[in-house]
Amino acid sequence: MTEPAFFILTALLDAPRHGYGVVAEVAELSHGRVQLKIGSLYGVLDRLVGDGLVELDREEAWQGRLRRYYRLTERGRHALDAEAQRLAANARLASTRLRERRDPIAGTPS
Amino acid sequence: MSPLEERYRFVLRLLPAAYRQKWEDDMVAAFLDSMDTGDPETTAYVTDYGRPTLSEVASIVSLAVRLRLGGADAPPRSYAWGQAVRLSTLMAMLAHAVMVTAGIAVTLWLSGKIAWLPAPALEWPLSPPSNIWHTAWNLAGYAWLPAYIALVLGHRRVAQAVALLAIVPPAITTAVEQAAGDVPLSLSPWAMRFIDVVLLLAMAAFHHGAPPVPRRPWLLALPIGIFLVPVPLFTIQATRPALRLLDWPGLSCAVVTVAMVVHLVGRVTNRSSRTLPWSLALTLLAVTALALRTATLPDYSNQAQRTTLTTIASVEVIAVLAVGVPLAVLAIRALRRLPPIPAVAPRPTTPT
Repeated sequence: MTEPAFFILTALLDAPRHGYGVVAEVAELSHGRVQLKIGSLYGVLDRLVGDGLVELDREEAWQGRLRRYYRLTERGRHALDAEAQRLAANARLASTRLRERRDPIAGTPS
Repeated sequence: MSPLEERYRFVLRLLPAAYRQKWEDDMVAAFLDSMDTGDPETTAYVTDYGRPTLSEVASIVSLAVRLRLGGADAPPRSYAWGQAVRLSTLMAMLAHAVMVTAGIAVTLWLSGKIAWLPAPALEWPLSPPSNIWHTAWNLAGYAWLPAYIALVLGHRRVAQAVALLAIVPPAITTAVEQAAGDVPLSLSPWAMRFIDVVLLLAMAAFHHGAPPVPRRPWLLALPIGIFLVPVPLFTIQATRPALRLLDWPGLSCAVVTVAMVVHLVGRVTNRSSRTLPWSLALTLLAVTALALRTATLPDYSNQAQRTTLTTIASVEVIAVLAVGVPLAVLAIRALRRLPPIPAVAPRPTTPT
């Protein structure tokens, strides 16, 4: 799973969101590090919808435009959970190795 | 529709029609939301006079390339075009890599370091680089070799950066020399640089969704290519001066024609769908070789042997057309037989 896909699924965990809502939420979740462009968002969203991880929730008219809201499917939730566990396991592995290689006296990496 | 929306929709026209039908309105809404500054007056100004930023346009271009030149999970036509562009790019890069590697051997031969070959003719003296520009030119050309290897090994961005090194110095050299009047004004070097730039852009077809390049055959193609084309060519040219009239565009036409003939013969025995990308790729290369040949023809008007050169060029053009047109017709027919791009592209069930 790519990083943008991971953040998009995470952004949809708590509530359905429309396109720009996802962009804004991803920017906030990543503390501004992941700034999705619209082309990138819809490239990933198209794939996530095709894979059945995300689906259309509802359409709402707003300022003369139609906003489509997307929600996470059960399958998307499982895929995100599996990816989060994989990343956490990787992070634990690195942290354990880092702790093992710390200088026991000075407390700094040897 | 606001001017900003019109401009954004204009950029979105780069995307395939089926994809636009599905996502365009959504993308426009999200884009206009992203341009909302919160202050009605500023937003109204941006809506009238603003433009999509370069990074927004780049994201659309990148999406368009990924959709139109698809990977293995793309609709059949998009995949066929994607493979065709990737194959033609690899073949053109291979040609560059083969020629620059052989160029090193030729330099050694001209300087008399390859004893088993006949000594070079007197009219081919080795002229050492006269200035920094020529040195830059000579060194820059060799960058095609690492660029090709990087592309085969899957490092597309490295390949593009290295290829840029091969393109920019010769372009500057040509511009400076032609502006200073050191060399006569000619189209040929610009036509070649233009094709190099197209090649650089075509490397975008090697995106994340594209299947990896089979390393072994493409790396083996390098030594095989050297022994098949430049080695016999330069050996013959060393003994038969008349054959020196074959220039780079002419050689491109000859090699593409031979490749197309071999492919057409192969198609008779193997009619699987895997041949279509090769047919399309060779058609693209034939068009490129023809364009290069045509663009470089006017430069012959200043040459002493212009009649002979023009005759040879005409034969080259006829040869490419004679083989290229039937191949293009076969390729287009096969392409039409593929299912059209569906409105909702099928996607694999594996997570992205």
